[in-house]
Amino acid sequence: MSQQGENSYSQPERRAEERLQAIDTLKAPIIQMGRDLGYEIIENHDLGAGPVHITWVFKPGSESLPDMRLGFICLTEFSNSSINEGIARAMLNLIDKLVFVVPTETMTKQVKDAIESMPDTSILQLRKYVTVLTPSTLVSKSGIQGSRERRSTQTGGEVV
Amino acid sequence: MDKLVQAGQEKGFEVEQNIDYGAGPVDVVWNMNLHSALPNIKFGFLKLGAEEGQGASQDTEDNQLSLRKIEEAAFRGIRSGLDKVYIVTENEEMAKSVSGKIEWLASHGSLIRLDAISLGLYPEQQESSVVTPSQKRVPEGEKIRKEEEREREERFDKYNRPQGERRDNESEEERMVRELKIDENSRPKGQKKVFDD
Repeated sequence: MSQQGENSYSQPERRAEERLQAIDTLKAPIIQMGRDLGYEIIENHDLGAGPVHITWVFKPGSESLPDMRLGFICLTEFSNSSINEGIARAMLNLIDKLVFVVPTETMTKQVKDAIESMPDTSILQLRKYVTVLTPSTLVSKSGIQGSRERRSTQTGGEVV
Repeated sequence: MDKLVQAGQEKGFEVEQNIDYGAGPVDVVWNMNLHSALPNIKFGFLKLGAEEGQGASQDTEDNQLSLRKIEEAAFRGIRSGLDKVYIVTENEEMAKSVSGKIEWLASHGSLIRLDAISLGLYPEQQESSVVTPSQKRVPEGEKIRKEEEREREERFDKYNRPQGERRDNESEEERMVRELKIDENSRPKGQKKVFDD
């Protein structure tokens, strides 16, 4: 009986299901990390242009400064149309910076290349707006001190 | 699309067809060289229909294209370095719907004014595709009529509706009867309320 239940899924439905599961897997560490860092987390942030999978909302410390929104969109497979759609969703949903989260390093390179290969005449410099990474890069890099931090620690750590 | 190619050539523009600059295919591009000292201006035309490469979702049954497709097409054009991205649809209704959706997407106050870059068009279009704001679209006569209605309501308030203490003492039933009489007898010609049997 259960076998029959599994087989009742059609091919596109099964693919959609797998895609959703892959997105959930990519989302989980980002949600966790955002929580650990104390940011406000919004899942499927949508002002009407379509969902941004995760959004971290920062309060920059003063009421007079606007909230900053860092958006994460998970891509399970590479295609130009999914990149176009992701950028459109992020920009039109008022995301300040977009991070594409992809499952493999190979795909990171593919997406980066696609974004950086824009014609010089374009009105947008998307490389300034979009970052591409895998969840493992995000988590492992968070524990590493930047060169400036290292230098300031070595020299007594006082920054003016 | 052939009409657009022909129109571009007739106007003396360099026309490219089915070209991919790296962000996905663009159906027609007009390269406009207005002056030798100025860079070319690129107008891109992308055809949008019900069919889609993957999944083939049919979303044009009610003459509406999905926001997802419109956004994707507009950003395909922007990523391709086009100065203007025109989304070409099957018919006028669809083109208007696309332009309306672009206006709506732009109304959220994003960094990018999508409505300044992108518009919906249909193949036989001759008139302007720019969406006219309602303040300009509503005929002057309509505004006057609404103003008259407002003035009439004010007069009703002043002369036909009780004021102050009389209003406070009026029961709910009396108020309803009075409003019904006003509604039946005081409307201008052509605006009489029709009651169901």
